[in-house]
Amino acid sequence: MAQDEYSFDLSEIEKKPYAVGGYLELTPRVFFTDPDAAFYKLNFYDKADKDLLDEYFLKLSMDGRYTRGFSEIYARANINTTESDIDSDTRIVLDEGYLSLKPASGFNISIGKKALRWGKGYAWNTVGFVERLKNPDDPELALEGYVVATMDYIKSFSGPLKAMAFTPVILPVFNHINGDFGVENNINYAGKLYFLFYDTDIDLMFLKGNSRSSRFGMDFSRNITSNFEIHGELAHIDNSTHKVVRSDGTLAASTRDVESLLVGVRYLARTDTTFIFEYYRNGPGVTVDEMQGFFGLVDNGIDVYRLSGSDALLKKARTVTEESYGKNNPMRDYLYLKVSQKEPFDIPYLTPSVTCMYNVEDKSFYLSPELFYTGITNLELRLKAGVISGAGNTEFGEKQNDFRIELRMRYYFDVLK
Amino acid sequence: MRKYIIFIVLLLLSTPACALEGNSLLFQIDRNLNPDSYESYKKLINIEPNGKRREFVLFTVKKEKDKVAALFISPASEEGRSTLRLGENMWLYIPNVGKPIRITSLQSVVGGVFNNSDILRLDYTAEYDVKTVEEEGDNYLLHLKAKTRAVAYDQLKMWADKEALLPLKIECLTEASMLVKTIYFKEVKDFGGGILRPSVIETDSPLYKGYKSIMIFAKIKDRKLEDEVFTLTFMPNLDSLR
Repeated sequence: MAQDEYSFDLSEIEKKPYAVGGYLELTPRVFFTDPDAAFYKLNFYDKADKDLLDEYFLKLSMDGRYTRGFSEIYARANINTTESDIDSDTRIVLDEGYLSLKPASGFNISIGKKALRWGKGYAWNTVGFVERLKNPDDPELALEGYVVATMDYIKSFSGPLKAMAFTPVILPVFNHINGDFGVENNINYAGKLYFLFYDTDIDLMFLKGNSRSSRFGMDFSRNITSNFEIHGELAHIDNSTHKVVRSDGTLAASTRDVESLLVGVRYLARTDTTFIFEYYRNGPGVTVDEMQGFFGLVDNGIDVYRLSGSDALLKKARTVTEESYGKNNPMRDYLYLKVSQKEPFDIPYLTPSVTCMYNVEDKSFYLSPELFYTGITNLELRLKAGVISGAGNTEFGEKQNDFRIELRMRYYFDVLK
Repeated sequence: MRKYIIFIVLLLLSTPACALEGNSLLFQIDRNLNPDSYESYKKLINIEPNGKRREFVLFTVKKEKDKVAALFISPASEEGRSTLRLGENMWLYIPNVGKPIRITSLQSVVGGVFNNSDILRLDYTAEYDVKTVEEEGDNYLLHLKAKTRAVAYDQLKMWADKEALLPLKIECLTEASMLVKTIYFKEVKDFGGGILRPSVIETDSPLYKGYKSIMIFAKIKDRKLEDEVFTLTFMPNLDSLR
């Protein structure tokens, strides 16, 4: 065997006090619209009709760290540019930027903007109390954090309780600081207690403060066999505000205690096929009737706009879209299944998969096949399509686009290391 | 008659002693491969039938029999990912995802012939009992049986150098004695600190014809580590150990 096959240049493992790297991403997308859908009407009533929408998304994500002693500064920022037939937008976002002090393996403190990710669910997280909502269609995307002060205190043991960790969080909400978290001029407190107990990951968490309703929850994850894992989450939210809009545009609000639940399994078959199956109960979600009330508002709004030119009802519909109805999975009961196959037909570094998200109440669904290829070092290629199906006045049936296809090309690099 | 009874009793007593001796031998092989608690850097190279190769560099820490953690240093697309093994529990942390997920020993986070249990290898004595030991010239042949069904390979046939007490070759077998992969230990190197062990591990598999994976070790060093390093919460901070 040639000697260079066994070479290991020690400069590859030399650690410098600083490192900068990131990735460049280009994603062209094509959407096939549904002009009869409520969300299409809402978004296009004041624009020219489009059967086909082209969009190009360009992202430069950079992250860097500087380490001195047991302190470290870390930052991650993105420049996101979207160019489409109807809009152009460029945003610069600091996803994370914080100072960490790590004086011991069992103790560290972080202050700054940090993305805290809680929960064991794959597509959804009912216990993500201090994080932004993730996109269940792309749950592995990095998220923007919140400005927090937090710490981890970790302790290991022998016996059935192998490890424990406590993570308290202080999350202030003031003008220009975490303004989109909730009601301003409040300091909120959250915490998570983690156990590894009888080979089961268990977390207990809470959030208290006046920016959002107080809530507490728990999650768990365990391997039943080496290739079969189960997980779950349960959250209780005190006095959750439930806003609904009726078809005449009137708003009704109520408060109630609600619970959200997620249970799921992950199974790896001998054929290297992975199955992820989850059930999600969204406690604060809207019912079928309440969703139909929203769709009725859009229809009424279009009728009024065509007759009189007044878009007051449609503007109201757009407002509640941003608040609830237009968010991912605004209704109550969902099923999720993702099936992925590693290297079929012995094609190395190729992973095809298909994902289905099903609304149990209105029986509409979203289906997304995908091809993911990592055969070239530092380059990821993902070809992904999405198709929706549903009757009128259903969640997926009334989405703006019937079908979409995109190719995400992502190239990773190190600038300084 | 008494002589025969004594002979049979000694024979019966000698069987567990052989097993004990085999397990002692395996323990010594474990200690010759690495200290009880150590850090190391290794490079994994996956070679495809067409000669194309992918390389990964990892920083690994291990403590006692069943605590192992590994951090990807390169390439850039994998940097920051880490894996943790605590007994039969195994997790993968991806920085974008921001939290660890449970994985299995049979999967491979890097692809290729090595799987997670090969990359996050525990002491052989942690997972296997020695059933028999044979002598083949200058080598021992140890027949190992997995202690539980959770272990990646049900049986191992390990050839070890008698003098150095280091493995030369391991055949990994299923319960039905079907060959899953063969692991070759090559290029003994002095890493300092009394660590003299193979620096190159190659593997191939009849299930992945034409593919080969190679693991090259650099900088194996005895290191005392706190138990808290081997916890889920510490996974994002593994780089601080370097």
